Amino acid sequence: MEVSVVVPLHNEADNVPVLVAAIRAALDTGPPWELLLVDDGSTDATAMRAEAAAAADPRVRVLRLAQWYGQTAALRAGFEHSRGRVVVSLDGDLQNDPRDIPRLVATLELGYDVVAGCRDRAGHTPLRRLTSRLANRLVDALTGAGIRDTGCTLRAYRLEVLRALPLYSDLHRFIPVLAAGLAGARVTECPVTEHPRRAGRSKYGLGRAPRVLIDLVTLVLLHTFSDRPFTLFAYASLVFGGLGVAGLVWAGLRLGAGAVDLVLPAVALLFLGQAGYLLLLGLVTQMMVQIRTRQGSATLASMRERT
Amino acid sequence: MSDPGVAAGGAERPALDLSVVVTVREHPEPLAALYADCVAPLRARGWSFEFVFAADPGHRALLDQLEVLRRGGEPVRVLEAAHPVGDAALLRATLPYLRGRTVLILPAYHRVEPDGLPALVDRVLAGAEVVLARRWPRKDGPFNRIQNRAVHVLINALLRVRLNDVACGVRALRRGTFEQIPVYGDNARFIGVIAARLGFRVEEIPIPQHQADVRTHLHPPGTYVRRLIDIVGLFFVLRFTQKPLRFFGLIGAVLAFAGVAILGLLSFEKLAGASIAARPLLLAGAILVVLGAQAIAVGLVGEIVVFLSPPGGVVYRLLSDSSQSRE
Repeated sequence: MEVSVVVPLHNEADNVPVLVAAIRAALDTGPPWELLLVDDGSTDATAMRAEAAAAADPRVRVLRLAQWYGQTAALRAGFEHSRGRVVVSLDGDLQNDPRDIPRLVATLELGYDVVAGCRDRAGHTPLRRLTSRLANRLVDALTGAGIRDTGCTLRAYRLEVLRALPLYSDLHRFIPVLAAGLAGARVTECPVTEHPRRAGRSKYGLGRAPRVLIDLVTLVLLHTFSDRPFTLFAYASLVFGGLGVAGLVWAGLRLGAGAVDLVLPAVALLFLGQAGYLLLLGLVTQMMVQIRTRQGSATLASMRERT
Repeated sequence: MSDPGVAAGGAERPALDLSVVVTVREHPEPLAALYADCVAPLRARGWSFEFVFAADPGHRALLDQLEVLRRGGEPVRVLEAAHPVGDAALLRATLPYLRGRTVLILPAYHRVEPDGLPALVDRVLAGAEVVLARRWPRKDGPFNRIQNRAVHVLINALLRVRLNDVACGVRALRRGTFEQIPVYGDNARFIGVIAARLGFRVEEIPIPQHQADVRTHLHPPGTYVRRLIDIVGLFFVLRFTQKPLRFFGLIGAVLAFAGVAILGLLSFEKLAGASIAARPLLLAGAILVVLGAQAIAVGLVGEIVVFLSPPGGVVYRLLSDSSQSRE
């Protein structure tokens, strides 16, 4: 098997037959492929239609999850059951164009480990284009991975890179960033087409923004400090310690000027206490990394032999 | 308890249709009588089964009754813990000893009419993975029902399940499912909730309440507090184990934002010439910032723990893979 296409589906019944036909048309002239339709706890006829597609074509497989776990878990299920040397992921809402898949795979064969689709956003409203661009600039600035479109699911990966990544929570958006940072993968982008949604309902809204932001901060912190967490806690401790010392100095100066305050020294001591607490927390966390490293289970730098 | 492999005599391969596990801890009824009541409807169905009484120490007289039954050829086994443990630890320690493909868990007292027990096993055999008994129709008074309703409003809202009688304690489940449900601490009563959240097929079926259960269940206040703590703990573990910073980060961000807002306001006043060094609001703002930072720091520790954990655990449950059925 050369190419495994993984499509997570949640309540996309109307899109399934069109999607399968489009993928078949796009890939039939290329190397051998399989299509994994991952039904993520749909409550409509998605599973039934996917099973019908699988019954009609042995290259189509259906993985049914017990409930709605979210896109990361659905993609992980697809990746873990893929048999292809190359794995391609795309959305089930037909907004990605399967005709882009051969180009992504061809780019991967140039020597990359991950090829991330980058949408043209031609159909977006100016406001959505602006917010999307700002969000992706923020991601790029924080991660430095050079990915301009973290929201595009259409991507191609080498299977061994995916197997090396910890995929949990909602980290699917940041797979290229994770791949570059943790697995030492060579990542590039490739422009892809985006169509407006034809059927079904979008599962995304502005409500996801705070969660994505928290995920992003988490990713950046883990990326930077997962093997030396004490440094992170020590930085935070320095900030509070500095504020505490400044508060005490200020209170001392006011005392010298004859003013007796209780609140200001209390605030200063609180900050100093917080600084100590953060240092202790950092030590405990560093200890956990130490133990995991001794057990040989902590994340190690990914090495690649030059050929 | 001794070595399961020796004691169970082939425990590694289930050889019976059913293992009935009776946890003997608080307020057990006479066990011989309980056995006699429960065994009749199961025997009538023709299943091969065993009754495994898993007991905390200190129930010698009750367990002696079972010894008489065992000597008389009844399929009774008695496992006694070395020291007092909770229901969850008893169940976990008992699991390797069980020989049944389906496990029926009962408390050591009557909750439901024994005639209804086979229905639980039937549902498991029909495809459900966990089947919980719901005492229905209930014969007890409005006080019990109101407190039961209140608890389930909380459980169902926080844990996003639809259950009516978590406290019943009578459940049937597949042995393989039992092995996959993380039972520990005080969470044995929430087996159904945990199973549902992990994606197992969980059903609740009504079985008439037993007359012996018809009494006012008024517990000491400490019990209610412990249950509330259990539910909150379960809420966190089931919904945020994979993403602790979402939980702590949100709480921390709200607190820190409120603190920064207060401190910002005071800074403006300071710039306008007012003295703020003696303002209690300064202390309030600082405390909020500190609490926010602490919550975020704890969330970060949680994230690092998750990140450092070896891969595995239940992230998703696969119901079916069409290629497997083809092969």
